[in-house]
Amino acid sequence: MAANAGNKIRNAKLVLLGDVGAGKSSLVLRFVKGQFVEFQESTIGAAFFSQTLAVNDETVKFEIWDTAGQERYHSLAPMYYRGAAAAIVVYDITNPASFTRAKKWVQELQAQGNSSTVVALAGNKADLLETRQVQIEEAKTYAQENGLFFMETSAKTAINVNDIFYEIAKRLIQGQPAQNPQAGMVLSQRPNERLVSSSSCCS
Amino acid sequence: MDKKKAVDDTEPGPTPSWPVDRFGFIKPEQGSSPDGISKSTSVHERERERDERRLRKWRKMIGVGGSDWKHYVRRNPHVVKRRIRKGIPDRLRGLVWQLISGSRDLLLMNPGVYETLVIYETSASELEIIRDISRTFPSHIFFQQRHGPGQRSLYNVLKAYSVYDRDVGYVQGMGFLAGLLLLYMSEEDAFWLLVALLKGAVHAPMEGLYQAGLPLVQQYLYQFEKLVLEHMPKLGQHFIEEMINPSMYASQWFITVFSYSFPFHLTVRVWDVFLYEGIKVVFQVGLALLRFCHDELVKLPFEKLLHAFRNFPEEATDPDVLLPLAFTFKVSSHLEELEKEYQKRLEGSNASTSTKRSQPLKLKTMSRIASRAFGNSTNNSEK
Ligand SMILES: Nc1nc2c(ncn2[C@@H]2O[C@H](COP(=O)(O)OP(=O)(O)OP(=O)(O)O)[C@@H](O)[C@H]2O)c(=O)[nH]1
Ligand SMILES: [Mg+2]
Repeated sequence: MAANAGNKIRNAKLVLLGDVGAGKSSLVLRFVKGQFVEFQESTIGAAFFSQTLAVNDETVKFEIWDTAGQERYHSLAPMYYRGAAAAIVVYDITNPASFTRAKKWVQELQAQGNSSTVVALAGNKADLLETRQVQIEEAKTYAQENGLFFMETSAKTAINVNDIFYEIAKRLIQGQPAQNPQAGMVLSQRPNERLVSSSSCCS
Repeated sequence: MDKKKAVDDTEPGPTPSWPVDRFGFIKPEQGSSPDGISKSTSVHERERERDERRLRKWRKMIGVGGSDWKHYVRRNPHVVKRRIRKGIPDRLRGLVWQLISGSRDLLLMNPGVYETLVIYETSASELEIIRDISRTFPSHIFFQQRHGPGQRSLYNVLKAYSVYDRDVGYVQGMGFLAGLLLLYMSEEDAFWLLVALLKGAVHAPMEGLYQAGLPLVQQYLYQFEKLVLEHMPKLGQHFIEEMINPSMYASQWFITVFSYSFPFHLTVRVWDVFLYEGIKVVFQVGLALLRFCHDELVKLPFEKLLHAFRNFPEEATDPDVLLPLAFTFKVSSHLEELEKEYQKRLEGSNASTSTKRSQPLKLKTMSRIASRAFGNSTNNSEK
């Protein structure tokens, strides 16, 4: 995961959005520090992290903004998603309200009109299968319709956590050749190649 | 005084074998905490004696149960201010906080109200509160036990507030305020102190921190950015060049009054002053943190700056270093000017979103608000 010396490093601002307690901070903590805590403090305002990922011969350095989930903090969010190269919209598979909230975030991102932003949808807490309330098919369909890529993740077991960041890094590189950092990428033109494998975590 | 807290007398807590610091937070494995394990016994001894002397002075000053307090403050406001800046003895903290915040008066004027709010009212925020309960000070023994007394009282206070002011309801961040208070006083006392702060019993009301659009957070951040530019122009300029917005590092300072992700021994000292002198100390402490690390910070690029804000060096968070530095910043009059400037800009840009500038409520009004409709009941909370 560490950057190879001599690689081309590109910085990518990434923001996590989603309902209170969906697991945004936990996903970041798992990705950045390889840790999971049962009782993660709620995020007040926003928190910053960074982590690099090597993809083939390139290195992506994520500048990650983990935001507060509560609706009341909404007014602080635009500062963090504006200009972001990527966003992970997180919901909790055991909580349908969080899925509804995730859709609102997706809408808001789309309304920003920055089609080059890579948007991932993460159905988190995939380890809690017995209490699942959001069906994987439903989320998958929604993601497809909206040009997002989708994975179910678990910050607790680490399943698909690195993968979702890796996938984002890959798409950032594909969509934005290093020679031409201005070029955008249009999500809906790309096949959702990872959709099938993403469900493998949960069966 | 109160139940918890006294960590020295081994509590029948859920996790008696875990080492906790003097405030009841479970120690990280590595040890080396700020309460001076490694100090020699003679230093310890001297500190203990100093603390005892201080405690005696304070006891004399406030009288039994706070009976002499008002009298003393009226006659010697400067002595009080000086002593508070040096730190309220931990054993008297809960009581003194109630005296200086005006919450004790609210409590006395509103017997039974808290109980009614807790028992008979329902809140739209109940689920939200429950979701956050185990995520507030999760490393403190008092709040660790699932459905234990700590979590239950935290829930009750937050629920009561969300009913008391349904417009504000429950907002993440309040839990840290309430949690901090509960380490020093009973539920009912903590509730009224929260009311005193948010509704403004003594100082300007702070409910704007939690209202829709977070108007007061926005205002404070605006003021803070200007103060940084004024007091540390080079650093302020550096922030602008690196596109560091104060919201990226200071919003939590204001939203939780340094009760979130700061060393607890610093938090309580800030609160001592905050409750007596008002919000300006949050600005001063923020400026002091930046000043302390100034020469380092001006050299750092965006990303390193953001890391630095989350990891202030241990010396910087020593209250006996940081607070004296904080008080060197004279900010009161400038804060007022900046507030007016901010309000004007708001009115200029968008009349509809302007903050309503509420004046501190007079205590009489408070009691009228508080005692709507509820029948009286026993005021049995023990102090
Ligand atoms: N079982 C399980 N629990 C999880 C998982 N991810 C997070 N949690 C738990 O869910 C709770 C909330 O997680 P956070 O990461 O704090 O959620 P958040 O989205 O950052 O919440 P806010 O900061 O309040 O917006 C914590 O108690 C976590 O331990 C997961 O994958 N599986
Ligand atoms: Mg969080």
